Amino acid sequence: MRMKNLVAAATLAAGSFVAAAHMAVAADIALISGKPDDTFFQPVKKGVDDARTVVELTGGTVNYMQLVNYDNLGPDAANLIRTAVGQGVDGLVIADWVPDSMDVAIKEAIAAGVTVMLYNSGNIEKANELGAINYVGSDEYQAGLGAGVYFTDLGYKNILCVNHVPGSFPLETRCNGVLEAAKAAGAASEQLPLPPTQADNAASVAQAIKAALLTDPSIDAILTLNPAVADWAASGIMQAGKTNSVAFGSFDMNEAGLNRIKDGTQLFAIDQQPYLQSFLAVTLLNSYLEYGLTLPTMPVLTGPGIVDASNIDATLAGVQNGAR
Amino acid sequence: MSADKKRLSLGSIVRRPETGSVIGLVAVFLFFAIFGQITFLSAAGAASWLNVAATIGIVALPVGLLMIAGELDISIGSMIPASSMIFAISSGYFELPIGVGIAAALCFGLLVGFINGYLTLRTGVHSLIVTLGTLFAVAGLTLTMSVALTGTTSVAVQSPPFIKATMGDFINGIYQVTIFWWMLWAIVLGFVLHFSPIGNWILALGGDKESARNAGIPTQRLTIGLFALSSFSAAFVGVNQAILFNSAQVSAGMSYIFNTIVCVVVGGVLLTGGYGTVVGIVLGTMTFSIVNQGIYFTSFNANLASLIIGVLTLAAVVMNNSFRQMALTYAPKKAEKKAEKAE
Repeated sequence: MRMKNLVAAATLAAGSFVAAAHMAVAADIALISGKPDDTFFQPVKKGVDDARTVVELTGGTVNYMQLVNYDNLGPDAANLIRTAVGQGVDGLVIADWVPDSMDVAIKEAIAAGVTVMLYNSGNIEKANELGAINYVGSDEYQAGLGAGVYFTDLGYKNILCVNHVPGSFPLETRCNGVLEAAKAAGAASEQLPLPPTQADNAASVAQAIKAALLTDPSIDAILTLNPAVADWAASGIMQAGKTNSVAFGSFDMNEAGLNRIKDGTQLFAIDQQPYLQSFLAVTLLNSYLEYGLTLPTMPVLTGPGIVDASNIDATLAGVQNGAR
Repeated sequence: MSADKKRLSLGSIVRRPETGSVIGLVAVFLFFAIFGQITFLSAAGAASWLNVAATIGIVALPVGLLMIAGELDISIGSMIPASSMIFAISSGYFELPIGVGIAAALCFGLLVGFINGYLTLRTGVHSLIVTLGTLFAVAGLTLTMSVALTGTTSVAVQSPPFIKATMGDFINGIYQVTIFWWMLWAIVLGFVLHFSPIGNWILALGGDKESARNAGIPTQRLTIGLFALSSFSAAFVGVNQAILFNSAQVSAGMSYIFNTIVCVVVGGVLLTGGYGTVVGIVLGTMTFSIVNQGIYFTSFNANLASLIIGVLTLAAVVMNNSFRQMALTYAPKKAEKKAEKAE
């Protein structure tokens, strides 16, 4: 029985080899996502769920794999990649959060015959270097730059970049982008690192931001890199008595953040459209595996988009659906 | 307390559980007063650490009582976001009356506390493991229910003026009203621990569980009550945070687990139970918060705060041990003996 199966599988494999990748292979795809309680990844999951409908039409499957926490981000994500490869997936959608520990695993996956698509974290140079077919996501540096330019165009002179995961490559890159934008406009920018022992404590983060505003009165703009931190920062700015004098922007958004943009206490939110990242990454990878289709557009940029008073109403509608 | 009856000698001061925490508090305050900018000493600077101390303190106090009774509760780490979310989903997402949201969140706190206490008693497993279980269970439940009900892990909530003023407002725009709740908690629990028979029961329970039961102390009701209190307090802080920041997140709160334990230990409470005071816990919480927030008023890298807190905790443990040794091995001189007996 077992032998028969093996022979059948071998014949099938040989057959599909001859027919190249242009026959429908019913692609099994895995996407590796952030931890379940990370607000940012809710639209990512919705994108995957919606993309799954398309993949299932061609007989394939999509496996949504999640990290448990971020305490050991690089190695944990690398292990998830190896798990997926071990499960025999055809395609893998992965964010290159910690290149030092994850690149090896990604290369191994590609060497084992898995087609890889980068999303969310990385860039097209990284995709080419590793042998991934494309990168779907925002460019962190460009996004940081965009946020910085938004501030400097309005004449702000000293931008504080609040980093809630010091040492995280994408977050550092965002702050570097802000710094470059500030330099180009003759303004200043500094990072405020929040230690992990208090980065999830609302009162503590609010007070840290208030303290930074009080000790350096020249700070006239604040950028947070996460919607929850933005909620707490808004309170910190208010407690420093600077709601009207300090400009406030954030990466990503939640309902409370959108309400602030609507009532004018927050200037803008940088939107990298996470729904599109996972939705496009999965459907593009599926089209490649099933039909050999590729896009000449490289990378596929989903951001930075900017949500501010001008487009707030349309954005609010998307939030209601869980897609933003 | 008989301290005023007998002469206040250096020895009698040193043997008190909160001595170490007073020394620690004075040391870190001076440190940041010197190295911090002048704003650290301003009203806004004081508010900076008082606000943080208040939110942690409301949880640290009942956790401290549990530790004095020889137990531990780490499920507070998921209780805080759970109650935040229950409140925000009820009153924010489903727009139920604000009282319903608050009551639901606090009742859930009591329920989880009851489960913690009941399981600890029934299974005989150490409460660290039991509450580790409820920590994950509550976190998973919160996440699943939030996503199932609202499709998101972050819910906005607006509170009416009266609730905002009593639970989540700022006095002079800088002091959280939570500070008064913390004071209330400290006074009530201080009374319970030091001036009511229950306090002696708690200390006895932490000293020796068997003897306490044999002495007729209702150890089971006491244990369940203490667990219910700590979960309830965590739920209160969760609701408070949601009102204060107009928003609730599924993930905010895990840092409270270690932070409260640090506050309690720095405050002179012995992890093994039977030794500690409410004043000590309050002082420990203040010390912790000054280090945590004071760092932002200095030119030092904020990442150093964790290092200082780590060293401080170790120092506190070592100090507490030696003070406790002194207390245990101390034999009063004849003249003092009479006063001791009167105690």
